[in-house]
Amino acid sequence: MNSHDVTVLGYALVVVACVGLQLLSLWPRSRVPSFTALVRRAMRGRPGRVGVITAWAWLGLHFFAR
Amino acid sequence: MTESRSAASVVRATMAVVVREPVVAIMLVAAFFDGVSGNPIHALLLGGVAVVLGRDIALGEPNPPMPLEERGLWLPSGWTVAALSAAFALVVGAFPRYSWPTTAGVVAAAAAAIAVAWRGPLMSRPDPGPLSRQGVFAWTAVLVAGALWELQALLLQPSLTVDSQQHPTISTLTDPVLATHLGRTLIMFAWLLAGWFLMRQ
Repeated sequence: MNSHDVTVLGYALVVVACVGLQLLSLWPRSRVPSFTALVRRAMRGRPGRVGVITAWAWLGLHFFAR
Repeated sequence: MTESRSAASVVRATMAVVVREPVVAIMLVAAFFDGVSGNPIHALLLGGVAVVLGRDIALGEPNPPMPLEERGLWLPSGWTVAALSAAFALVVGAFPRYSWPTTAGVVAAAAAAIAVAWRGPLMSRPDPGPLSRQGVFAWTAVLVAGALWELQALLLQPSLTVDSQQHPTISTLTDPVLATHLGRTLIMFAWLLAGWFLMRQ
């Protein structure tokens, strides 16, 4: 396994952890919030709402815009 | 004397905003690094939003009282948004990455979304209530770990502007996909739908 594979494996582990937390949140007595609950909580006020949407906007710029 | 007092009060007000709402500081830091990395448009967007948001917080302007839907504003259905997003992605995705037409399209979509978010939530949603600290910590830990992993890959490149296949960033890994019209269309469509999902929260 070379360093390219290790790097990709790291990203894959993060994705698996996110999916795992989301699945855990479905458990009735789970203390892990769903991703939606997390985002909804963060976006209650204007700073959080604008901050989250700006982060999303930045992603688009990063991948596509000059 | 008056000027120095005035400057001091501005610094105090700015610090208070940063402490109260770290999102402003995060955006300013991101704008700085994007600027020095040669991305002036990105830096302008982040910095501009941070400054206006900081002013907004410092002035203590209240949040809009009602979601846009309850103010009688027309909201498109999910299917309408999906169709418009697909058309947008198909047209804008036809242009190469980092070209001016693509830049104009993406900046327009991003600015429109930020402007709408500024006015208020699209619709009322049930408050999820207080979240478990352990649960929030778990999500934060995973997301921060992902960001740090990306950062170490970035720092292990020959330079900030030269990609490395040995230590690829997410951008490097997505380059082959985004080199094609189909790939750009699909990723742009997913980006737009993700934005719509976030705006509905």
